[in-house]
Amino acid sequence: MSEVTRFTHGSRVPGWDDAVDPDKAPSPVPDPATTPVPDELRAEIEAEMAKYPQFRSALIPALHAAQRLHGWCSPEAIEQVACVMRITPGEAAAVATFYDMFETKPVGSQTIYVCTNISCSLRGGDRILARMKAAADGDEDFNIRGFECLGACDMAPMASVNGEYVGPLDDGDCDLIIEQVRAGGEILPAKNLRNRECADPAGRAVGGTPTDGGES
Amino acid sequence: MTKLLFDRIDEPGLSGIDVYSKRGGYETLRKALQMPRDGIVEELKASGLRGRGGAGFPLGTKASFIPGGDMDKFLVCNADESEPGTFKDRELMQKNPHLLVEGMAIAAYTVGANRSFIYIRGEYELQAQMLEAAIAEAYSAGHLGEDIHGSGFSLELVLHRGAGAYICGEETGLLDSLEGKRGNPRLKPPFPANQGLFQGPTLINNVETLATIPVILAMGGSEYGKLGVENSAGTKLVSVSGNVQRPGNYEIELGISSREIIYGLAGGPEPGREVKLWFPGGSSSPVLTADDLDLPYDFDTLAAAGSMLGSGAIIVVDDTNSVVDVGLKLASFYKHESCGKCTPCREGTNWTVKMLQRVQSGEATPMDLDIIASVQEQIIGNCLCVLGDAMAMPVGSLVAKFRPEFESHIETAREANGLGVTPPAPAEEPALSL
Amino acid sequence: MPRPEKNTITFTIDGRDVEATEGAMLVDAARGGDVEIPVFCYEPKLGAPVGACRMCLVEIEGIPKLQTACSTPVRDGMIVRTTTDRVKQAQEAVVEFLLINHPLDCPVCDKGGECPLQDISFGWGGGKSRFIEPKRHFVKPLGLSPLIAIDRERCILCYRCVRFSQEIAEDHQLVLLERGAATYVATFDGHPYVAPFSGNIIELCPVGALTSRAYRFRARPWDIEGAGTVCNLCPAQCNVTMTVRDDRVLRVLSRDHDGVDDGWLCDKGRFAYQATHSDERITTPLVRDGDQLRPASWERAIAVAKGLARHSGSVAAIVGGETTNEEALMLGRVMRDGLGSQDIDSRVGGSLPLGLLRTLARPDLQATVPDLEFAHTVLLLDSDPVDDAPILDLRIRKGARRNGVKVLVGSSRPTALDPRASQAVRHAPGSGASLALAIDSFLADDRAGAEAHAKAAGADPEAVADLAFALRDGGEDVVIVWSERLTDGPAGAAAAGALVSIAERLGLTGREGAGLLELPRGTNGRGLREVGALPNAAPGLAEPARIGRDSQAIAEAAASGEVTALWLLHSDPAREGIDGAAWTKALASAGLVVAHASTLSPELAAHASVVFPAQAGAEREGTITHPDGRIQRLRKAIGGPTNTLPASEVIAAVAEAAGFDHGIPRGAGATAELGHAVGFYGGITTDEIGGTGVRWQEREAAASLPAGEIPADLTAPRPALSPNGSLRLGAYRSIWASPEVSISPALKFLARTPTIELSPADAERIGIAQGGKVKIAADGLTVAGTAAIRSDVPEGSVFVEDGLAGSGPRPAEGELVEVSGP
Repeated sequence: MSEVTRFTHGSRVPGWDDAVDPDKAPSPVPDPATTPVPDELRAEIEAEMAKYPQFRSALIPALHAAQRLHGWCSPEAIEQVACVMRITPGEAAAVATFYDMFETKPVGSQTIYVCTNISCSLRGGDRILARMKAAADGDEDFNIRGFECLGACDMAPMASVNGEYVGPLDDGDCDLIIEQVRAGGEILPAKNLRNRECADPAGRAVGGTPTDGGES
Repeated sequence: MTKLLFDRIDEPGLSGIDVYSKRGGYETLRKALQMPRDGIVEELKASGLRGRGGAGFPLGTKASFIPGGDMDKFLVCNADESEPGTFKDRELMQKNPHLLVEGMAIAAYTVGANRSFIYIRGEYELQAQMLEAAIAEAYSAGHLGEDIHGSGFSLELVLHRGAGAYICGEETGLLDSLEGKRGNPRLKPPFPANQGLFQGPTLINNVETLATIPVILAMGGSEYGKLGVENSAGTKLVSVSGNVQRPGNYEIELGISSREIIYGLAGGPEPGREVKLWFPGGSSSPVLTADDLDLPYDFDTLAAAGSMLGSGAIIVVDDTNSVVDVGLKLASFYKHESCGKCTPCREGTNWTVKMLQRVQSGEATPMDLDIIASVQEQIIGNCLCVLGDAMAMPVGSLVAKFRPEFESHIETAREANGLGVTPPAPAEEPALSL
Repeated sequence: MPRPEKNTITFTIDGRDVEATEGAMLVDAARGGDVEIPVFCYEPKLGAPVGACRMCLVEIEGIPKLQTACSTPVRDGMIVRTTTDRVKQAQEAVVEFLLINHPLDCPVCDKGGECPLQDISFGWGGGKSRFIEPKRHFVKPLGLSPLIAIDRERCILCYRCVRFSQEIAEDHQLVLLERGAATYVATFDGHPYVAPFSGNIIELCPVGALTSRAYRFRARPWDIEGAGTVCNLCPAQCNVTMTVRDDRVLRVLSRDHDGVDDGWLCDKGRFAYQATHSDERITTPLVRDGDQLRPASWERAIAVAKGLARHSGSVAAIVGGETTNEEALMLGRVMRDGLGSQDIDSRVGGSLPLGLLRTLARPDLQATVPDLEFAHTVLLLDSDPVDDAPILDLRIRKGARRNGVKVLVGSSRPTALDPRASQAVRHAPGSGASLALAIDSFLADDRAGAEAHAKAAGADPEAVADLAFALRDGGEDVVIVWSERLTDGPAGAAAAGALVSIAERLGLTGREGAGLLELPRGTNGRGLREVGALPNAAPGLAEPARIGRDSQAIAEAAASGEVTALWLLHSDPAREGIDGAAWTKALASAGLVVAHASTLSPELAAHASVVFPAQAGAEREGTITHPDGRIQRLRKAIGGPTNTLPASEVIAAVAEAAGFDHGIPRGAGATAELGHAVGFYGGITTDEIGGTGVRWQEREAAASLPAGEIPADLTAPRPALSPNGSLRLGAYRSIWASPEVSISPALKFLARTPTIELSPADAERIGIAQGGKVKIAADGLTVAGTAAIRSDVPEGSVFVEDGLAGSGPRPAEGELVEVSGP
């Protein structure tokens, strides 16, 4: 039998093994007098809050905004969101940690989600993830994550590169993507979802001929 | 075959209001605003349209549950398309966003909701941009906002982006998420029709469902009802993926044969391979086998075959793949996405993954397969929402239908891992093990 | 607002017809049929059910799926089955699921023996597990706060603790992080969960995941006994059960009383029992020997105290809030009849005319604690319940959250309920009386007068008008919660008069569910007045033979030598904050100072002639009166240190040594004597009070409350001073500012250090940084502390904290002080 890992490993879930720091003060709703918030962030969050009958709905948009500014949902970012929204940082953290797109640890600024769910994995998604990581070769500017179904199984295996969906990918595409991201150019235009036609022949505008959806 | 939603969807500029209007867009909204509200509900009922998100609840009936009276009511569009294998709403929102906006305006008018929201999954950035632009155009053109086309009816539409959580596709989880909370499903009753968003009566429907409303009103409910087969009226967008040659979205008339979709439209598996199993309605539907390929693709037939039409996402797995891998992939996904609120789902998905990992590495015995099957039984029907069932049903069906393969895999893996005694130590830090 | 009325219906459970209240959840209704449905997450006190644990699944005829009994309201004719195979399978499944990752450490778990998970596994589990994977193991236990340890292995994610934080305490600090099986209970970024009510989550936890760090490993359920009594640490008087082992209190649990505490406790009430067994407590009589107090025999101590007789006619007594009714009655009698002095007081802020006291005690003006939950509107006047009577803060929140009670606030310092309030008006510190008069005048449509009063209060007249009209239009059932400090000083009578007038204008007199609720400073503040610990009232608020000096006058008389002996029964007036300088002088000047105390403040250590060890709450027997008139019993939970005696025994011994017979019997007889002496307590007995207390207003004898009157020409309040560059001084007393907190090892970390609160604008102007040193000075008095800059503190006011040991006397509230940085 394999080694029983329980005692050596402890927990690999972040947070489970953490005690509180008794030297810290409790964490109520941050007082604006002692919590500086960048003006643009405050304005953006307040605009979101105004959109909803109950301002609390703006929490996810607010966290998106704070993550854009800080690069991740850092304690500072969360405190700023909490301060503008008049909620406790705990409430904001509870929401931030629930959703996959919020980063609760510092990460690279170039985000690549590689879908590894069933349809993509049937077509090599797991291999693409490994290749993508290899292509970035430990560059800390990249945040490459295996991600649950991104809703683009028609272009499997696929990835979302800074929000741009590309696929179907082959091994060579991974190096290309990393290069293109570094260069700041368009990502695999031929394989970009923006330029993809509907598989259903009826989708062609006028008199189109059915083409192979998988290769368009 | 009749094409309603995908009709010339790739027409250049369709996502803009000019082309959309040229094609007669928003005319149905104008027409609807002249109709009595019950009249629209009757049309919807006559159409026989069943919800396209997965549960298949008749739209007209659902709309009729929204209480009348003067109170804050809400319309929510569920655009959190996250059921693995499903990507139809994505294409619709990206290429014809105004159809959804028009459908929502009509639906909101029908139930008397003055505030509406599109909850789109956070990963859909392009689609969110397209919708954002379409909503702005619709406001400028007076299709949204105050006193729409002089009808006295006002509607606000807000696009709300999620942040990556499958459970927010569950309607009450979505409502909590839209309220700025963790996306935990709520106890039902109360149902959203009575106490939904911000505790107000709420109509919540899938993108495809809402986008079909203008189509139905344009052609007439009973006319739409003639499409498809009994209890499965109309056309349906089907996402076909996995081991097929032409994966993609296809609009079909409900009731055509499944083989026609998988082989005829999507091209079937690569030459030389066979369909081993397929999910007829997203990864949470119990699997069917090659023997079931001739089943008509409609709600009732698939239910009778022990599965479901679900979101209309067909995932085809061919004979080069191992059912053990498929089962583990599935279970791991649902474990990752379980919100953790209720016990059977939280613990059951977690336990199932651990057992399947042992099956995969050859550390299991056939008795473990019995336990896996029994644990799925313990999950089904005992959870707060359907996520637990969403794993238990397909995993249970995999074990039931492919037990010999599971058993032989255990044997092979055991031997491959060295004399059937010691599996190899993990090469690197194993994945999160809870 | 009307309390919900419920009809009775009949339903069938496991073949038996059972009556139940319509709409009750099945779990509760089933108990009527002697059917127990197991639950983990269900706890009605926490609000709407969440249906998360799935333990309570039952079969209901006509519904295909099993339903959660915790969230299904019972209906007439419902047929429920809880023992079918399907239900059994579901129950066994849930228990199996919960146990797969629950450690088998019951032998070393604090919860063992009183653990719902153990009980339910035994009662409803399958008794076997098929889980052979390694269980999860984490570091444990971890600190969640200095008071609470968290053991995440044991957590079954029932949501109770986080629901408490979110829905009851509303501190929103304890949350769930991550998702799915990775979900765990935690706080933001490692901040400790420190909040006034945090300890309740220990009691709520159905497993051993949240344990009291003070109780861990101190006892097993079979080692302990529960002793029901009442917490005597503040006027909220929560009902508690003390866990006793070997004559030591090891734990305090709530003893749910809907009329008092609603089943919650604050952390002071929960953990300050440790003061009972603290080394810093005085457990033997102390007698002055030169500049030191030395332990002495009881005989010697009584002999010194007997010296009071030599000061006959110039003895004064101050009665502290923790004194029982019986003790105060006896002291009053000894003072008046034995020592020839009417100089006895229990109000440190000054006295009110007897006619007003009687009026304020009127049953038809009295609101009760449950009224806070069902009122249309609750107005807080110069009171922050979280500090004055913490548990009422939760009650008001509950009303606001569940019943839409409108909360209005009029106070000088921001209150904890401000975020819940539809309106909060700030007035200048010490100007509560003017605010009350302004509200009254607005209600009387005397706009000019009202605006003048509002200006005198240092408040914005428009805001006060809005507040008054919100009060007027806020429904019939209005409860006004006000603190004793509102009636401090010369203008106190005017404030009290305004309160009564407001109540009358709003039609609150005689209205069920509406009225006034005073939060006195001391635990038994109300009882002490009613048994005559006042200079201007005999027991029962009767006309006294003569009028004595009130506390302020006593302090002055002692300083000037007219009063030569002081008897301080559980009172340490120099530490109260009011007239601190005068009291320090008084103690130094008095020839004889007899004190009953559990701890020594610097002033007592310097000036007391004799200190008798006071009994701790757990050791006391007697009655105290709740702010809403509920007479409650303190029951002896433990014997206490061998060398302590009940205060009544000590008073009796002193009286006897001085040759005076007060004629009050011991024990239960003393309570009966109370029934003779206080007309409106007439005939009260310990049996009648029982375990849940009785409100005297609801007894027949209530009619014997003497009629009151509001005197004419009351002293008008002094207008608030204009800050003019200085700041107006305000003071408050935090829930944590008490000797019990500073000597309880578990609570020591909460003991307050001097803090000075000021607004961001003032801080910036003066050049003070958050956490920096600040000094305030006026009248030759200086107070130093750490700056706390709060954006909700109004500009022009600065707040210091009272009740701290050794911070020295401060200037009076409302005075202008010079504030300076380091």
